[in-house]
Amino acid sequence: MTATDTLVPPTTDSDRAAATRPGRHPSTTRRLLGTELRLLTRDTITFTFVLAFPVISMLIIGGVFGTEPDEAFPVNPSHWYVASYFTVVIGSTGLIMLPVHMASYRERGVLRRFAASGFPRWSFALAELAIGLGAIAVAGPLLLAIAAPVYGIPDIEDPLRVVAGVVAGSVAFISIGVLLGSVLPSARAAQSVGLMLFFPSFLLGVGGPPPAVMSEPLREVAERLPLALATDAIREPWLGIGDGTGPLIAISVVAVVATALAARRTALS
Amino acid sequence: MNPNDLPPHPEPVVRVRGLTKAYGGRTVVDRLDLDVHAGEVLGLIGANGAGKTTTVEILQGLRRQDAGEVRVLRLDPHHDADRLRPQIGSQLQSSGLPDRLRVGEAVALFAGPHASDGGALLEQFGLAGKRRSPYAGLSGGERQRLFLVLALLNQPRLVILDELTQGLDPAARREVWSAVAQLRDAGTTVLLVTHELDEAEALCERVVAMRDGRVMDQGTPAELVARHAGEVTVRFGLTETDLTTTADALQSLNRLPGVTGVTRERGQVAVRGDRAAIAHVGAWLLGTGRPVPADLRVDVPDLESALLTLLDSDGSDASDQKGAA
Repeated sequence: MTATDTLVPPTTDSDRAAATRPGRHPSTTRRLLGTELRLLTRDTITFTFVLAFPVISMLIIGGVFGTEPDEAFPVNPSHWYVASYFTVVIGSTGLIMLPVHMASYRERGVLRRFAASGFPRWSFALAELAIGLGAIAVAGPLLLAIAAPVYGIPDIEDPLRVVAGVVAGSVAFISIGVLLGSVLPSARAAQSVGLMLFFPSFLLGVGGPPPAVMSEPLREVAERLPLALATDAIREPWLGIGDGTGPLIAISVVAVVATALAARRTALS
Repeated sequence: MNPNDLPPHPEPVVRVRGLTKAYGGRTVVDRLDLDVHAGEVLGLIGANGAGKTTTVEILQGLRRQDAGEVRVLRLDPHHDADRLRPQIGSQLQSSGLPDRLRVGEAVALFAGPHASDGGALLEQFGLAGKRRSPYAGLSGGERQRLFLVLALLNQPRLVILDELTQGLDPAARREVWSAVAQLRDAGTTVLLVTHELDEAEALCERVVAMRDGRVMDQGTPAELVARHAGEVTVRFGLTETDLTTTADALQSLNRLPGVTGVTRERGQVAVRGDRAAIAHVGAWLLGTGRPVPADLRVDVPDLESALLTLLDSDGSDASDQKGAA
């Protein structure tokens, strides 16, 4: 900066119009989405958790019970867990990655800066929705790619219902993540709450013991957990052990309610 | 100060009347009136908790007032937020950017359809070489200069700077002051919120002093100093050879224009008065034909003295300052 530098006073509408760049200017949401995608690739710790935790857990637990169906497992146990762990990606994205990221932005005043700069109220939530779907789209196939040479990928019996389950489960948990990120005051709080929600859901509803070996009360609880509903909506039509209609309807209702609440609560402040 | 003394201006950039805001029953902004005119740098000064930041947050539509009328660029900051915010460039207190966001990416992210040349602004504020630096790697002064770049990027019609130099070392403060001086010289309308009074004195054409959410006084820094900061004092020593003429000297000094009082203690003479008295005492010293005293010292009160006096007052005159600031 030098003493001879001068700034053009930006004072009139005509000045502003004259400076308008030719061609289409990317919308705020698009610019935010592009920026957030770049930042996601630099946030190695969080992204590694979302990518690596399901993969490592799946590799460990998938080999514990062998490959033969028995009383506990109606299908090859390894395949049971490969199909199940797809939703761990969804759960870790929605319950840990997004809430911590959003709460961290709020805590550090990043959201207020977005708000003061005229970013639309929805822009950040929409960007996070896309980020969440992107993370799931990367981490899910990665998990299957790593499972394929080790345990094999089970045949998908009803692809349409599986896709419906993945979409409904993803929207539900991303919305829950946006909602948590909107109401929790700090990154530390978001991390604590997220982990408290994630691990019981993970152990009871997805990656722990199969429902057949659980006690009746525990099974009653496990069947009603949102992550378990998402898992059943995907796993049953995938493995051909049911059509998953009940869980699909239930997780769709969760998705609608969570999306409505997240939309109502979301704000850049 | 009578508001009618203000230069006429049909459309202030900011017009606030009777603004009131309370948090949990505690009133933090109390029937505030404020005008910011086009092209001026207005300083909102006061101690922590005076209501300055709440006021500017309401001006930007980040908070909603409990009562009162607020118009910024003739728009309601709450109802017209989407239209108004792109026209305001702001540097918020306690706000930041993502650690891993690079300087160049920040400029691209915040550049709206009316944005000016971000590269030129980075060059102008000494950040051209930092385009690829992450936000976390910038020094305090560099961060504030980046916030200034972002505040100016979309050619705002009003720039709001809240505690711009808080926590910066003296060198970094001077860097940022220089940047704000550029805005002032270019005729940009700036609302500067600060409790650093030397900053307000150096940068602002007009200041509004707040306490407990109310305007205590307003005017140019010099006017506030003249009204509240007390008198100028010129001090110097008299040598022993002067003793025989001391009484005459004191009487002579006391008769000088602008002088309101003269005292002598332990060989030191203290002449009190207005700013004109400084020149007259200087002329008197030269007129004695003796060397200028080596211990000659002039104490000129500053804005800080004025604000301290205002803060120490009982606030009873605050209600007299209801005219638009």
